[in-house]
Amino acid sequence: MLPTITVDDQKCTDPLSCRKCLLVCPTRVLGVGTKVGPQKFKEIDPSQFIVAGVRFERCTVCLDCVNVCPKNAIQVSL
Amino acid sequence: MCVWCERYADGYERWYFNPANYARKLYKVRKEEAEALGAEANPQAAGGMALLTRDFLEAVDRKDYEVVAKMRQQVEEIAWATHFGQVVPLDDVLRVVDIIYPIALITCACRRSMLGLPNEENFTCIGMGPGMYKWERWPDTYRGGVHFLTPDEAKEIITKMNKRGLVQVLFTFGTPYIAGICNCDYPDCSAIRTTLDHGIQFLWKGHHVAVIDNELCNGCASCIHRCQFKALSFSPTQNKAYIDLFQCFGCGLCISECPQDAITLVERAKFPALANVW
Repeated sequence: MLPTITVDDQKCTDPLSCRKCLLVCPTRVLGVGTKVGPQKFKEIDPSQFIVAGVRFERCTVCLDCVNVCPKNAIQVSL
Repeated sequence: MCVWCERYADGYERWYFNPANYARKLYKVRKEEAEALGAEANPQAAGGMALLTRDFLEAVDRKDYEVVAKMRQQVEEIAWATHFGQVVPLDDVLRVVDIIYPIALITCACRRSMLGLPNEENFTCIGMGPGMYKWERWPDTYRGGVHFLTPDEAKEIITKMNKRGLVQVLFTFGTPYIAGICNCDYPDCSAIRTTLDHGIQFLWKGHHVAVIDNELCNGCASCIHRCQFKALSFSPTQNKAYIDLFQCFGCGLCISECPQDAITLVERAKFPALANVW
């Protein structure tokens, strides 16, 4: 079984300047990207960035990301 | 022989020494092909990393090897046609810098996605060729802007990154068009991770392997931390460094830290059984 990781984008509004979960993860499971993808001649607003689980096979369900999140936006379950 | 040399070296010693593989003509072919398919020729969209989904990880997890093999093949085919890398030793990279112009220092997309690394800490990627003149079209791909470099500045910066422990990798953007020198490490480079963690060959090994002279190795272990490919370990039994030659990518990073000069880069082709291990 692979763990499931959900991040509430309504609560996590500026992951690029917070990035606590990205730095705490011991196996670099999480990734930060955008919902919209790159756009011509336009830099994407930081509010459009989201955090998501990517490399699920390395997730140990240690819950460090859940605990470090100041917005309580992350849930991890197996 | 390296399949890319077979196809694209055209008489040069290696495919990445062939100036034709940096030509503006190829850049235009890539752009026009992408646009013909209805896509904007955005450099980031050339990447194959995004093709690896949870479906693949689930198939691995339930040991469905037939599905895994099929998905692996699909992803590799796309990557090799559009965007893959080959590890190159520092001397070769410094020669490449003299082939192509312009050269620019840009921010690393992998470390942005892995760590959200701020732009000012993230200038570890080198972009090359005509695409660099058009970076303003894709400000998000080039977040933080670009710094154009003279060849000498580029050599100095790349040498420093090599010293720091980052592996140099040449990347295609529409094979065989080469337009990037990545400076990678595990675990923050997506290509190394996908290659090592999932056995999907985004990265091809280089044309050499690092060989230890056991007479000269004094077991100081200065080299061990340099390997980003899990090929180098320390043998307590022999009190010496140990290199798995089938796992070695031939970057040469271990060599520059050896105070005994006990490690040398040897051409892969010198070992019949390694000649086709890429």
